[in-house]
Order: sequence, then C-alpha cells, then structure tokens
Amino acid sequence: MSQKKEWEPKLLGFLCRWCSYAGADLAGTSRKKYPANIRIIKIPCSGRIDPLLIIRALRLGYDGVLVSGCHPGDCHYQTGNYRARRRMAITKKFLEYLGVAPERIQASWVSAAEGGKFAEVVTEVTKDLKKAGPNRLFEDEQDGTKAAK
Amino acid sequence: MSETEKKLREEAKALLEQGRVDYIVGYEPGSLKFTTTPLITKDKDDVDRLVISPFMTNNLSVFLTELEGKVGIVARGCDSRSIVSLIQDKQLTRDNVFIIGVPCAGVIDMGKIERLTGKDRDEIDNIAWEGDKAVATIGGNKKEFAAKEVIMDDCLGCDTPIPQEYDILLEAAGPLACDKELSRRRIKELEEMPPEKRWEFWKNEFGRCIRCYACRQVCPACFCKRCFVEETEPPWLSPLPRWQDNLIFQMTRIIHVAGRCTDCGACELACPVRIPLRSLSKKMEEIVEELFHYKAGADKAAPPLMASYEAEEAEDFIR
Repeated sequence: MSQKKEWEPKLLGFLCRWCSYAGADLAGTSRKKYPANIRIIKIPCSGRIDPLLIIRALRLGYDGVLVSGCHPGDCHYQTGNYRARRRMAITKKFLEYLGVAPERIQASWVSAAEGGKFAEVVTEVTKDLKKAGPNRLFEDEQDGTKAAK
Repeated sequence: MSETEKKLREEAKALLEQGRVDYIVGYEPGSLKFTTTPLITKDKDDVDRLVISPFMTNNLSVFLTELEGKVGIVARGCDSRSIVSLIQDKQLTRDNVFIIGVPCAGVIDMGKIERLTGKDRDEIDNIAWEGDKAVATIGGNKKEFAAKEVIMDDCLGCDTPIPQEYDILLEAAGPLACDKELSRRRIKELEEMPPEKRWEFWKNEFGRCIRCYACRQVCPACFCKRCFVEETEPPWLSPLPRWQDNLIFQMTRIIHVAGRCTDCGACELACPVRIPLRSLSKKMEEIVEELFHYKAGADKAAPPLMASYEAEEAEDFIR
C-alpha cells in the first residue's frame, strides 16, 4: 500500500545570529508552531549575504530562500542590514526579470524578541512557495540533469 | 583623417612630449575592416595611429586598473562614467588619469548595416559619418542611413554621449540619435513574455555560452583580482560550460557590477557567441535607477551604490 506523499516546499533560511536566529529559538522555546519546511543556516549578519548564495541555493534545488535580519537601525554592526536590503532589492527584481518567481526570494526583519513573528513569516513564506510550485529552474531533461538535492 | 582625429593626435603627442602622462590609451584600426583595437603606448610616434571611428567597441577604462603611472585616455560618455565609477570605488585617483573626451554618435551595428544594404561586410568599402547620416560606400555608390537605423539599440537610449568628466573635450563629431523606446525593445519583448518563457529564453541563450569570460575581461566594472568563478573552495560553479553554470555566472556578474555598470556594451560586443548581454546590463541599470535613483559614474564624490544606503528605501518586499 503506497500512498503518494504530497509535495512540500523546501525553504532555506539565512538567519542573522544577533536577531532572527534567536527569534527562531524563541519561537521554539515558546512552543509556537511553524512549518518544518525551513532549513536554517546561521549567518553573522544579513549583510553577509552575497546574491550568489541565494542563486546557489536555487541551483541546489531549494524552492525558496529567506534572508532574515535585524530591523532597520538595530544592526549589531550598525549598517549590515541596510546593505543587505539594497542587495536583496536588486537581486529580487533582477531574478524576476530573468523568470524566477518572486515568491522564491524572501526577506524579513525579525528581532530576537519576535518568536511569534518568526513563526508567522515561515508560515506565510511556505504558503507562498506552495503557490509557486516546485523549483525546476535548473533542471534539464535533455542532459538529464536534475537539480542537485 | 577628420579634424577631431588630427586634434586627438596633436593632444596625445603633446601630453607624452611634455611628460604630463606616462601612457596614452586610445584606439587604432583593427586587423579587420570596421574594427578597432586598443592602442596602449609610451611612444610619441605611435600616436599617429590613433583613430576615432564609429566602431570603438572596447571600453578603454578597463586598462586603467592595470597601468601604473599617469594615463591619458580616450573616453566617450560611457567610458568616462566608467572612469568616474572606478574613482568612486577607489581603484583610481583622478590625478592619475587625463581624460581626452570624445563625443560619441553611437557604435554602428554592422549587423544592421548588412541587413540594410543586403551586402556582406567584406563587400562594403567604407562607412563614415557625414553630418547626421551614416554613409556606406559600396563599389563607388553611396548609401545614406539615418543614425537611428544603424547604431546599436542600446546606444539609442544613451543619456551621456558627451563625456561629463574630462580634462579636454574634442569637438562634437556626430549626431546624437535618441530613441528610448527602440533602445529597450528587447527588454520590452522579454518583459511581456510569461516568466517561464523568459527563463527558457535565457536558458537557450546561455546554452551557447562557452565560458570564455571575455565579457568579464573587457568589463571595467569587473576589477576584482580574484573572481568567484575561479574559487575552488568552495567551487561555486562547475568549470564545465553547462547552461546552468553559464547562466549563474552571468547573473551573478551582472548583480555584482550593479551600480558600476554603465551599459557601455563592451561585454556584448566581445561575446563570441553573441548573447544579448546588454538586455541584462541595461535592465540592471533601470532597476538601480528605479529603486535608488542612482546612475553609475555620474558623480565622483558620491559613495558607490552598494556601499551606501538611505535609512528608508526599497522596503516593500520585506516582511
């Protein structure tokens, strides 16, 4: 008896270690429920994100990428999140022009005290990704390349 | 030899003779018809080879980060913006460069000329600007074309054909055709496609890419000593020229040069398989303008786009 499992999106989260990562921790310790679709990577600051990392995640077959950092004005290093914001803005627009669904590239500001907001963000992003469907951007039937898992 | 060319040679010679510059960087005729090749020289006798032509396809400012000493450089509008952008990025000091500004009438697209005349480029004897018309001479017959018909699409959208930053400016050589709509024709076509078709389009284009990196080598904005494509730990890209990695290389490159790229078109003109790279770089220029009201290389005192920020901007996509 085999039952076909429903497709679940895979979301890669880059979380700033000073805020969003602690926010995710708080969501856990305060027993907030959020979808298990997110895989989290701790980063030193949202300003660490090179657009290449986002593109690389899509190449590896993630259905979406979430970059989450401190609210404007709250960056541990003063300006990292402002720089991230510029980078994310152009990356999102540019990839959309190339044909990448805008839902696949997500950003949020989540502070260490916002466990609830973190759970909300992940829930909404997962919903968005279900709408966008599986990421087949880099698959190629002709040369038999599946997006690496 | 045109008046402007004569003046250019005189100026270049004087600069070298008086020791005001160590190098002159300009264009000389290429080995093929309707091409130019960069001329880099310390020798005042070489300057007689300098030309100004409608086929100046390189952006010479790419050499500025490699040459030591003071450099006298021939620059059009887009080139001068590239120089300013290098100064903004602290790759160059203003004192180390002497800008010989030449107004630009746009780079002539040989493909368009061939289509219009129905002749192969080998059959055409000469192409030159006469007033605001491009004149092609074929077997003694002259054919006139409006500038708008023959210059590259993207050049039609140029706001700065005359250099904004220069030490001397040679006289206006030609007309300035402008047609914003035509200049973004390809971008518009792409924007009207559904996203899947757009991706398919780029997938096909980059299936041809052989990853020679010519686009990167001719780009003055690509001045990194070490590029991510050559990193081996971790290997960001497979060295095999598969479309996936080709496309990732180019999209990352375009994002990395955002705010530095002046859409000079050197990358597209250097591409051996003719991938329409300007449809990417021009779009990026538009995005930067729309989001941050920033124009690459417009102000040498301004901080570089990606190294600065405003407290409130472009927030609508962030949750």
